[in-house]
Amino acid sequence: MRHSVSMMSQKLINASVAFFTAVVAMLAVSGCSSLPENQRSDSRDPFETENRKVFAFNMSFDTYVVEPVADAYRTGLPRSGQRAIGNHIKWAGMPSTAINSAIQGKAENAGLATLNFLVNGLTLGFADLMEDETPIIKEDFGQTLAAAKVPEGSFLMVPFLGPRTMRSLIGTIGDMVMDPVGTLAGSGSLQSINQLRTPVAAVDFRARTFDAFNDVKYNSIDPYSRVRSIYFQTRSGMLEDRVSSTISSSYSDDEFDAFFEDES
Amino acid sequence: MTSVSATSLIRRITPVLILMTSLCTVVQPAKADGHSAAAEAHIAAMIGSAKSLLATDFGDTATRTKQVTELLDTYFDFPGITRFSAGQYWRAASSAEKQEYELVIREVIIGTVLRNFEQLKGLEYSHVTSTEKGSKLVLVSGRFNDILGERPSVLVNWRVTTLPSKPVKILDIEIENISMLITQKQENIAIIRTNKGEFGALITAMRKKLDS
Repeated sequence: MRHSVSMMSQKLINASVAFFTAVVAMLAVSGCSSLPENQRSDSRDPFETENRKVFAFNMSFDTYVVEPVADAYRTGLPRSGQRAIGNHIKWAGMPSTAINSAIQGKAENAGLATLNFLVNGLTLGFADLMEDETPIIKEDFGQTLAAAKVPEGSFLMVPFLGPRTMRSLIGTIGDMVMDPVGTLAGSGSLQSINQLRTPVAAVDFRARTFDAFNDVKYNSIDPYSRVRSIYFQTRSGMLEDRVSSTISSSYSDDEFDAFFEDES
Repeated sequence: MTSVSATSLIRRITPVLILMTSLCTVVQPAKADGHSAAAEAHIAAMIGSAKSLLATDFGDTATRTKQVTELLDTYFDFPGITRFSAGQYWRAASSAEKQEYELVIREVIIGTVLRNFEQLKGLEYSHVTSTEKGSKLVLVSGRFNDILGERPSVLVNWRVTTLPSKPVKILDIEIENISMLITQKQENIAIIRTNKGEFGALITAMRKKLDS
């Protein structure tokens, strides 16, 4: 009985976080008018004025909270501890990868993610017990929506979450709601670990990309447009299953083709 | 009668078709290998020069700046990078703006390499594959591995230009699917557009950042 109440409360928290994120994003979008195409610095960004305000807020939050914590994390915590936390975060995302791979018909990836989740579940994912070197490609609900030909929608800068497109934001909410790890965590210490996962994942990501992130943040002329460009390129890599791949994107190929056509 | 003729015709042309197909398969990669081999050799030479630069670096800023500049001038296509990164605004820019931009983008790129110079230490490069992108560009893929194994390995795609009667040069670096040149171009275009299409505003902003 207590277990089911705790499961319900966990689901409620997940749903509340998702709802809060959605409300903030919707308010941001509905409360502002979209810029005419000829005034946008990127045609995919009709809410640029508001997005830049949210970006400034996120950067302040990063400066005062995330960056110092991430710096302490990367310099204070031993490498083995960082690796264990990184493994756990990856492991906790396996059910989502398995579900979304299965929906997209990527049976092998779904099977590998399920196997990884079950095997590494023995240590809650803190240790990687899998010897198989086959990489598991991360799949989220946003990618599933893209595979179902749902339009990308506008670019949004979401408070705390950072850059998203409308479609990937809906995907993030979907992943939060159907996260089975939250349900399995039940109560007690497992639930505490689960609740800490999101902020710890943010700090872990910030620590892993510390120098590159700071270079964009402090040395770019326009960090906002640089972040937007990096987001679109990274996302395109994920959508085309090109992460860590030697295949270039069709978008960049087109850009270079157009350049050489202009030159000749 | 017709079927017999058709069969004999097929028998006669089959060896010809096989020969033609095998010739095509032999000829095409040979042509492709020409560009790819030149591009791969260029990357290998650049990695060799970078290695010796890193081995002899003792942290002296002036020497490091001089050596990095020489390395970039030798292996990178600065004029191409300049034009690409300005996008469609390059054509509309005045010749004075073009000259100024050429200097400032060069400083920006050299500055970026110098800022991240320490991160290049302790890395080992291994070639993965090459893909021809038409006759003017080869995508040379490789991987940087941390010798100590503390940092994850990073996949890098080098876009190498193989233009007729021009030396082979690097136009772009793509790190984990993020093109440095496209990112620079999109940032530059955003700055120009937020300044009502004024190319000079980009130069001013870049100069201001360099001086800060």
